Amino acid sequence: MKRIINILLITLPLLLMQMSCTEDWLKPKPLSFYSPENVYVDEAGFRALLTTLRKDIKYEYYDVYNLSMLEFSASDLGIPTFQPDWTQLTPSGSFYLHLSMFNKAYEFIKNANVAVSRIDNIEWKDQQVRNSILAEALFFRSYWYYRLVNSYGDIPWVGEEISGAKLDFQTYSRWAIIDKIQRDMEFAVKWLPEKAAIGFVTKYAGLHLLTEIYLANTEFDKAIASATEVINGPYALMTTRFGSWATDKKRNVLWDLHRVENKGLAANKEAIFITIDRFVAPADAKASLGTFTMRNFVPSWWTIPDKTGGRGFDWNLAMGDTIGQGNSDSNANYFQSHSVWSEFGYNWKNTPDLRRCDINWVEMEELTFNNPKSPNYKQKCTWEYLIDKADTTWMWRAFPIYKTFVDPKFGRPEGRPRGGNGDYYVFRLAETYLLRAEAYFWKNQLALAAADINMVRQRSKANPISSGDVTIDYIFHERARELYTEERRHNEMVRVSNIMAKLNLSGYSLNNISEKNWYYDRVMKYNNWYSEPRYSRIGGPKAFISPYNIYWPIPQSIINANTMGRINQNIGYQGAENNVPPIETIE
Amino acid sequence: MKKNRCRDGVWPFFYQILRKMKLTLMLLFLTVLTSIAADSYSQSVKLTLKLENTRIEDVLGRIEDKSKFRFFYNEEIDLEKKISLNASDESIVNILDEIFRDKGIHYEIIDRQIILSKDANNSTSVFQQQKTISGKVTDNLGVGLPGVSVVLKGTTTGVISDMDGKYTIAKVPANAILQFSFVGMKTQEFVVSGKEIVNVKMEEETVGIDEVVAIGYGTVKKSDLTGSVASVKVSDFKTLPTMQVSDMLTGTVAGFYAKQSASAAGGSSMEVRGPTSLSAGTTPLIVLDGVIFNGNISEINPNDIEKIDILKDASSAAIYGSKAASGVVILTTLKGKKGKPTINFSTKIGMSEAASDYRPLDGEEYLKFRGEYLRSLSNYTLPKNYFTRPDRLPDDVSIDSWRSYSSSPNSDNTIEYLNRHKLQTTEVEQYLAGKSVDWYDMVVVPGLRQDYDLSISGGTDNITYYWSLGAVDNEGIIKGDAYSSIRSRINLDFKINNWLNVGINAQYADQDQSAVKASLSRVYRVSPWSKPNNDDGTINLRPMGLVTAEHPLMEYYGTDSYRKANSFFSSIFAQLTLPYGITYKLSYQPSNSWTKNYKFYGDQSTVGIADHVGGYGTRGEYSTFKWMVDNLLKWNKKFGIHNFDVTLLQSAEQNRGWNTDITNETFSPNLYLGYHALQFGIKPSITNDDYEATGDALMGRLNYTMADKYFLTASIRRDGYSAFGQKNPRAVFPAVALAWLISEEGFFQSEFINRMKLRLSWGVNGNRDIGMYSALANLSDNKWYDGSKVMIGVYNSTLANSELRWERTQSLNTGLDIGLFKSKIDLSVDYYDMSTTDLLMSRVLPRLTGFQNIMSNLGELGNRGFEMTLNTVNISKPNLIWRSNLVFSLNRNKIRKLFGDMGTYTLLGEERSGELPDFSNQWFPGQPIDVVWNYKILGIWQEDEAAEAAKYLLKPGDYKAEDANGDYKYVNTDDKKFIGYDKPRYRIGLRNEFSFLKNFTASLFVRADLGHIGAFSSATQSSSEFDRFSMSGMPVPYWTPENPTNDYARLDFVSVRRSVFGGGLNIYKPMSFVRIQDFSISYSLPNTLIQKWDIKNMKIFSSVRNLYCFSKWPGFDPESSQTPMPRTYTIGIDITL
Repeated sequence: MKRIINILLITLPLLLMQMSCTEDWLKPKPLSFYSPENVYVDEAGFRALLTTLRKDIKYEYYDVYNLSMLEFSASDLGIPTFQPDWTQLTPSGSFYLHLSMFNKAYEFIKNANVAVSRIDNIEWKDQQVRNSILAEALFFRSYWYYRLVNSYGDIPWVGEEISGAKLDFQTYSRWAIIDKIQRDMEFAVKWLPEKAAIGFVTKYAGLHLLTEIYLANTEFDKAIASATEVINGPYALMTTRFGSWATDKKRNVLWDLHRVENKGLAANKEAIFITIDRFVAPADAKASLGTFTMRNFVPSWWTIPDKTGGRGFDWNLAMGDTIGQGNSDSNANYFQSHSVWSEFGYNWKNTPDLRRCDINWVEMEELTFNNPKSPNYKQKCTWEYLIDKADTTWMWRAFPIYKTFVDPKFGRPEGRPRGGNGDYYVFRLAETYLLRAEAYFWKNQLALAAADINMVRQRSKANPISSGDVTIDYIFHERARELYTEERRHNEMVRVSNIMAKLNLSGYSLNNISEKNWYYDRVMKYNNWYSEPRYSRIGGPKAFISPYNIYWPIPQSIINANTMGRINQNIGYQGAENNVPPIETIE
Repeated sequence: MKKNRCRDGVWPFFYQILRKMKLTLMLLFLTVLTSIAADSYSQSVKLTLKLENTRIEDVLGRIEDKSKFRFFYNEEIDLEKKISLNASDESIVNILDEIFRDKGIHYEIIDRQIILSKDANNSTSVFQQQKTISGKVTDNLGVGLPGVSVVLKGTTTGVISDMDGKYTIAKVPANAILQFSFVGMKTQEFVVSGKEIVNVKMEEETVGIDEVVAIGYGTVKKSDLTGSVASVKVSDFKTLPTMQVSDMLTGTVAGFYAKQSASAAGGSSMEVRGPTSLSAGTTPLIVLDGVIFNGNISEINPNDIEKIDILKDASSAAIYGSKAASGVVILTTLKGKKGKPTINFSTKIGMSEAASDYRPLDGEEYLKFRGEYLRSLSNYTLPKNYFTRPDRLPDDVSIDSWRSYSSSPNSDNTIEYLNRHKLQTTEVEQYLAGKSVDWYDMVVVPGLRQDYDLSISGGTDNITYYWSLGAVDNEGIIKGDAYSSIRSRINLDFKINNWLNVGINAQYADQDQSAVKASLSRVYRVSPWSKPNNDDGTINLRPMGLVTAEHPLMEYYGTDSYRKANSFFSSIFAQLTLPYGITYKLSYQPSNSWTKNYKFYGDQSTVGIADHVGGYGTRGEYSTFKWMVDNLLKWNKKFGIHNFDVTLLQSAEQNRGWNTDITNETFSPNLYLGYHALQFGIKPSITNDDYEATGDALMGRLNYTMADKYFLTASIRRDGYSAFGQKNPRAVFPAVALAWLISEEGFFQSEFINRMKLRLSWGVNGNRDIGMYSALANLSDNKWYDGSKVMIGVYNSTLANSELRWERTQSLNTGLDIGLFKSKIDLSVDYYDMSTTDLLMSRVLPRLTGFQNIMSNLGELGNRGFEMTLNTVNISKPNLIWRSNLVFSLNRNKIRKLFGDMGTYTLLGEERSGELPDFSNQWFPGQPIDVVWNYKILGIWQEDEAAEAAKYLLKPGDYKAEDANGDYKYVNTDDKKFIGYDKPRYRIGLRNEFSFLKNFTASLFVRADLGHIGAFSSATQSSSEFDRFSMSGMPVPYWTPENPTNDYARLDFVSVRRSVFGGGLNIYKPMSFVRIQDFSISYSLPNTLIQKWDIKNMKIFSSVRNLYCFSKWPGFDPESSQTPMPRTYTIGIDITL
């Protein structure tokens, strides 16, 4: 009997445990992850989403292949070294980020849309807080749409959080999207804060973006007004030495301005919006390999052979630490390193322009073979030992070390000198000046345009220009001089191409923009890679580009997956024949 | 850093236990167990008998019908008297007392045997005497059988038959029962009944109709089976190096698909009857001793397994409902048997080596390769002898003209020769020093394998026990690959009284998974002209002087790893025998696992110095607790020719897990403390990942048999699981099966067919093997550093789907079992047709949504197949028995529906309309999952085809593929074809067993997987930078103008021109193989010899696994693809005391 009681004592609790199995029993209980329902319930939840949006923008500048590198590779200033033949750029095959940018940008837009769609799901005690959060979300959404329309033209508009398997997206016209983000940003700048810590979005960052959007929308007066608000804001072009190298007499203010450690300093009055990336951050809070400036924008100097055909250089030695283990993924051209500096009788050698001064640039002839094992050790670098001179540009060209150099003492995520963790400018006041100059130019107020350009030039001790010098080409020359490695070059060239087409300037028209456009014409005019096609490096294909490459292809995977609707392909790429007219308005 | 790994070796531990546990102690332990005496069958059985005026003999017959009692008596006993009896639910003792009252007959109950004798008062009764009994034991051919154990039942007294099969046993009580047993023979019992000579003819135990088969929550006789169940004879594998249960299933069961693992841990993939899902798991459910086993199959010691039954058709599996769509593997462990303790010790020592080699290029070959590569880069414009070694120039090329190939040649011809190959500085130095490295032999090494197993089992009337301890210590054939484990099991069954049994089946496993393997792929990347060690003897991390070409042993040396997985699984049960043939069983299965996963990457590892700075350490602590409760009610009743067996189940379960990962990096002041002190780093990080899932189930099953000819099984199960959308947490799975034993029918007259059964079954099963939180939207975190502190960001990382539900596999099975020539030939064939609907699929979304996909129920998949199992006894002679077992199976699978999106698309060059394929996953409606869609390679463009090749932007030496529409473009939708299948089309296994010269047995298992192809990645080396690594894959015989092969492209093909092939190009090669998978031979020592040492059985054996493989696959092995397959030689000994 006692045994029976024992058994019952064991079994009863088990049975009772089962009795308790009500409907709740099968309810999933998430333990270690958040779900939307328990996060977007208060301000902190929304702020956490904004943190993600701030991090998303780092996709522009960091790690092996990044958009910043692509923007210059797809421009008048260089080529994508490893795939310069644009006929190979197809909707389903891509070497660089021409396709993945599209996917990533929509992922970032999704993050912003979650905030936009859910903002009124909760009660806000303070409408100011609501609006400022909404404003920042709209800023990032507009930023990515602005990037998308200037890379891909007409694209689908996704304006709210998606809750299920939506498969019927449609293409909206580029202009409809620009209109929409203009309205969004006009709201946003009212609510973005005047002041914020570095890395955070201020009203002025909003106004800078809005200026670009106004320009894109040919709203030049408004562009001038918004740019003026930034210029009159708490910023100034840096004209005096500051930051970590300030006491080094050999250097100059431009060197200071482009040190990663100086970009976020309070003393730096020129930064409007920067991204932060520091080596001291934990692994998952920083870019895994950091900026790739010492690899993307630096030629592969260390592969230059010595007279035995062996390696005359060793990047493991000190020289590698300052120059970087260049790979020239974005292969700049002679125009960028030389021709653009020839003006007012000066050339790249004797120009007073600090942006091309000797201390800020490295000429290959300045290098000496540093491999102690080489018979040419300590001798001047030469290209005469190259078997095939096709290699020369990939390995051999001058480069602006003042922009590429990341001091190893700020930490480098791995042994190879390829850059390292460091802050990056997104918006800098110099660009705001050049944007306003462009707006003045379109309005034919050339004196005002020249004045803005001269603001930038004078800081670099370059000769001032006169109003007669101002052309759209000149503005882009100036941008090349000032903003190489920083600006969104392709993006801005496409923006201008559309302005000219819309205004029917120089014979351009929106109807045939994929056959004839300013972007292509300027590329062909200044980018000698295409005018005299040759191999960018041994074994590589020849450079080739067509007018339709102004826009990149819409990924075929997206068109395929969108089974219930039609997403247009850009003209010139396979599948464009199935296009339907895009939607022209967005609520 | 010096290699300093602290693995807990299995060996020392094992010795320790042996040392501590002296035999006396073990015996003490056993004595304690056996002293727990309890009651026997006679007390638990209650009988109801109502008889009028019936002969006692007939009454006894009725008792035998209604119970398992058997009466034994001799002719002296008079049973002709007639009696009347009215017993209702009486014990046998009461009934017998009633029957034999005043009849002068005495009875004695020994378990289920009842022995009748003349009244005990009669002092001359033979049953009171003790005699010496002798006799001869023969096999069915009358040949004397040595080594048969003859035991007085219920005692430990016994002898073994001699070489002629003769035995003599003294002091046998006249009422004793003699038990004759021999491995492979049916155990026989004889009542002595006063005889002095007892001759016994032993019969072979035929694996066949009398076999009991586990069917889930119970067992049936194989003859009563309605579904498709395959059983594996575990004894066949006792001589083979089986690390895991799944090692026994590679190719041996029709319809069971398993791929051997090449690792030291062993184990293989498992799949029953083909894939029933596109994205959910398709590993079969494991049932261990009647309860669902949620752990890893590697926790189970294969030496503990007595029997493996595989439920293949839906009806058999349906009682496991939601988890059974991929089939069920039922494992039954060894249990103690009544009798004196038996100790079994076995050991297997073996050696593994690569079954086939694939060597990288040696020093000279490598230089040739570099020259050829650079020549192909120059498009063969460089002179033919540009890369020729100056002392090997052909006669018509002078050294001066050779030198003139370069504009400013080095004064030293050798240096010039090397420079032309663009070698690294280190390579040049090593070449000049004449030191090349054989990386392959440093990485692919022989491995030692050890397996020790000890078990003790036995029992009394009231308790049976089985305890085992097994230790495995294995080295793989890749340097550093190792695995060791200690596994122990205890099975106890207590019979408390005549209505209650309680017991426990428990196992504990301790697995060491710390191994860090050397990198095989680097063997093919690093130059043979490398410097493997620095001058101070430490390893040279970048042995050829390139950052990207790391030392193949770098991780092996540079990582300090400790990974231990401990697990405990048990089933505690109580079984109540209730009136009216009802039994109730309650069982509770708690299971725990704990894993420690510690790694430290020091200053001699990429992770520790390049990915992180100043060392990187991780500590993972993972634990799980799972429990399940089963309430099982069974009812078994026979009404005349109708037999009912009903099973009802109620079950609930909960799975919980707690994972913690801690990492830190940049340690100071030094790295000596490794993972033991992660607090000394400067960037700590913690991740927790806990989870919880719950499930419940209700199940009912009826087995109905009529006249032992017609069989019906019907079952229904309802399952609930928390991972599914909250709109559909539960689903119902019905099944029904019929069988007809035609050979039992009166009209069935056949001379050679002695048995024929037809089976038919239908059922529905589910699959719940998806992520526990698949239905929920998930936020992921995103850390961002604002310049002074880390901020946690969040973002939506998955989309919710509250309608997510179970995958359902409906299947139909028909089978036929035939026994021919007195079951000398035994044939089973099955045909099945399965259809899976509501496929759980990760639906690809347009990335515009910000998500790549969403889990949804779409799609439909079909599997049809045929299976055949043929068992034959080919020769059965005194000195040779030869048995064969042939299995054959094929499965044809078809995607019937995918996402249900209709439209027009291009495929195979045609504009088609209908359901759209999923190009990214290469899933095509109407095609099998494993169809290969790629370019059909016609060969290599040769030099005389240069003009034609150029139209494709290709050059001579590049791959030539079929251009279906002749447009001089390779567009995937136009030109790719369905060129084959990457899963075997036919699978065959043939086992031959030989018993010869009395004590020898040998077996040979040959397996064939036929008709499939596989991508050979080395044929399209993915690196475009041959100038930096030797190669990124295994060397292949490439094309050159001098060697215009048609198999593999020229060396610079991939650098640019591979992109000509839209949608990617892969080169497929045949993967069919015929493998001599197992050969073993064993010798049982004659009993006359071992008896002297009190040994019951002793066997020595030897085996080889993966002896030889016939295949055209260019890589290592068609089963392991691009890694070597181990060939293992084993010797072993098995002793039973």
